[in-house]
Amino acid sequence: MADGTLHIAVCVKAVPGSTDVRMDPETNTIVRDGGAAVVNPFDASALELALGIADARAASGVPTRVSVVSMGIPSTASLLRDCIARGATDALLLTDRAFAGADTLATTRALALGLARLGRVDLVLCGKMAVDGDTAQIGPELAGALDLPCAVDVRGLVACSEGALRARVGIDGGTAVVELPLPAVATVAKEAARLRMPSISGVLAAEGAEVEVLDASGAGADPARIGLAGSPTQVVRSFVPEQRSSAREIGGTAREQAAAVADIVERMA
Amino acid sequence: MQPAQEAVPRAEGLIRPLTADLDGYRRDESRSTGEAETISFPESEEEVRAILRALHADGVPVTVQGARTGLAAGAVPHGGHVMNLSRMNRYLGLRRDGSGAFFLTVEPGVVLSDLRKRLKARDVPSDGWDDASLRALRELADAPEQMFPTDPTESSACIGGMTACNASGARSYRYGPMRPHVTALRLVLADGDVLAMRRGEVRARGRSLALRTVSGREISLELPTYEMPRCKNASGYYVEDDMDAIDLVIGSDGTLGVLTRIELALTPAPAVTWGVSTFYASERSALDATERLRAELADAAALEYFDGAALDILRRQRDSSAAFSSLAEPPAGARACVYVELQCTDEAAALADVRRIAGVLRAVGSDADGTWVARTEVDREALQFFRHAVPESVNMLIDERRRADPSITKLGSDMAVPDERLHDVVELYRRTLAEAGLESAAWGHIGNNHLHVNILPRDAGDYARGKELFAGWAREVTRMGGAVSAEHGVGKLKRGFLETMYGPEHLREMARAKLALDPLGQLGRGNLFDETYLEGGERHG
Repeated sequence: MADGTLHIAVCVKAVPGSTDVRMDPETNTIVRDGGAAVVNPFDASALELALGIADARAASGVPTRVSVVSMGIPSTASLLRDCIARGATDALLLTDRAFAGADTLATTRALALGLARLGRVDLVLCGKMAVDGDTAQIGPELAGALDLPCAVDVRGLVACSEGALRARVGIDGGTAVVELPLPAVATVAKEAARLRMPSISGVLAAEGAEVEVLDASGAGADPARIGLAGSPTQVVRSFVPEQRSSAREIGGTAREQAAAVADIVERMA
Repeated sequence: MQPAQEAVPRAEGLIRPLTADLDGYRRDESRSTGEAETISFPESEEEVRAILRALHADGVPVTVQGARTGLAAGAVPHGGHVMNLSRMNRYLGLRRDGSGAFFLTVEPGVVLSDLRKRLKARDVPSDGWDDASLRALRELADAPEQMFPTDPTESSACIGGMTACNASGARSYRYGPMRPHVTALRLVLADGDVLAMRRGEVRARGRSLALRTVSGREISLELPTYEMPRCKNASGYYVEDDMDAIDLVIGSDGTLGVLTRIELALTPAPAVTWGVSTFYASERSALDATERLRAELADAAALEYFDGAALDILRRQRDSSAAFSSLAEPPAGARACVYVELQCTDEAAALADVRRIAGVLRAVGSDADGTWVARTEVDREALQFFRHAVPESVNMLIDERRRADPSITKLGSDMAVPDERLHDVVELYRRTLAEAGLESAAWGHIGNNHLHVNILPRDAGDYARGKELFAGWAREVTRMGGAVSAEHGVGKLKRGFLETMYGPEHLREMARAKLALDPLGQLGRGNLFDETYLEGGERHG
């Protein structure tokens, strides 16, 4: 915060807009074809927290820069432009076939390269988890990669002042207020904030805004440490549990009925 | 589509006493209550016919009900029998014409929300459909998504009720009311005979109409001679020279027959839907903006309004109720809001419209920063929550006041005027409300100059003054060339206004037209006009 500007980077992920997703039969990962993708709702809350901090600081005349950064397919740029329409200052998209198939570790490495590209960052905000992967690993892994303190499951912001973040976080059976020195990483719960809608001015301004696009070599990535090649996790199989139900009437004596039930249970095993 | 060999149902088993456990069927969403001795829940046209034949012998009054979501008490019984059609809720068939358009035939009890859900999922129940319908259904699966455009706020409304009152909704600004989307129907008359009507097949000659029932009976009737207002209108029978016969039935408030089958024209769903909420420091700016938006936006599907009092109610709800805490917060100082829904072929067209809206805001001295643009499903839902929270909050407020004084209830207007009278009618509302010292909140379909001005009575005196005010508005709106009911229908609550709008002589003409189809005046008694207009028929003539 040397020049007085607080720089917040918000990591966002494009997720399918519906639960009707296609899986790649080879890699067992979600096919991301950009059809009706939305910003992960947890990341949307993280963005709103960042914009709220910027608003509060603007009211006292101090500047804030809110960058959004994502690793995704090229069409993710339109989601990042939508983040700019809602108030983000700038956006960076890491996109390359070499990034595809990444697990959380390889994703973290790519995002860390993106954050490095943004220059000095005071606060990195992520959604607590993504609604498609549900791992909740990216934020803490990023903190590890960047060697920064990390608060997880932020339910609300108490204060973001010079050099420190105070936040209410979820703990077993309740919440607690924690304070972290900046720079830091925090992951945000969905209920922490509701992302504002863009204004007409925001939508029109975002149309002319540039989303910086970086491929793997531009980001300086080691091909062995990103994408499928850099992912120690292997998804062996993933599937949508099939819901089946049926009913059968069982008659006869109590003994016969008990035998029929035992038979059904046996067949289910 | 009943099997031909099905036995003729016997009415005796279908008509039952309206006992205390069925009390709910004496009421509808208008919060008024009526009386009836018997009730039936027919499940087929044959059952409807059997019941009506049995009741016709004694001239028993019959009130037809659907989902009972109407706001004008059209479904509230007026003695006699209640015929509730909610169990006639089957999807009967699908047709595709040469131009590729789809037409879905349903029973009257099909609920709008179910219809929407099934069209969206392309999952229409097709049990018992013929080959042509099944072929059309297969084509629907591969065609661009289809929708049914009429969108009353209450999506639990049923198609029969929506047809009977010629329902509208926010998107009627673009798509009109039910009328243009109903292409065929079957109507069982009070004596059990049936009229099968298809748009384009039977037209009046001037104001004379000749109909033929499926049994071959000829019915001639003279249509009323009034001219309808040139604005959104759901007041009384639709009549004009050389009109299509089907249009007489749509919007007839259950007074001519019982709808048993309705064919709906489907519409391709728009590729891009964006919602834009704009805010103004004064009502005048909002009205000026509305006139400009109407002129400049070809792709607007809806133009909706919320006045400062409505915004204040939402601000209070947001702060005081957990259920409303996620409401978006209107900008400080906003005293009016105009919501525009854009339906466009692509995002570039929507963006061009957003630029036009920005231009309009500049022209009326308003701010493009303090606006909301909903482009995602989450944001569209947030705006819908905002819009629906207004009537819901007002109902809650009235319920609270009713606890102190049970005699009061909400008073909501439903009048519309031609475009050029928008400023005049709002000036009328504001001046007379201020003179009467009444609290109010106004919202609604400003694109059609159709505001629901809701009086929020604090006590019985306010309520009485409010009713008086509405009667005065009915006279003034009629002078402006407007309609006393633009979308809720006249039902039983607004028949006094209809008398103001058309005068007793035209009401007598309406009664005569009704009696040509329902000679004993059994159906929908008390709807549209007082039943004294029916007595003896000719006595009034």
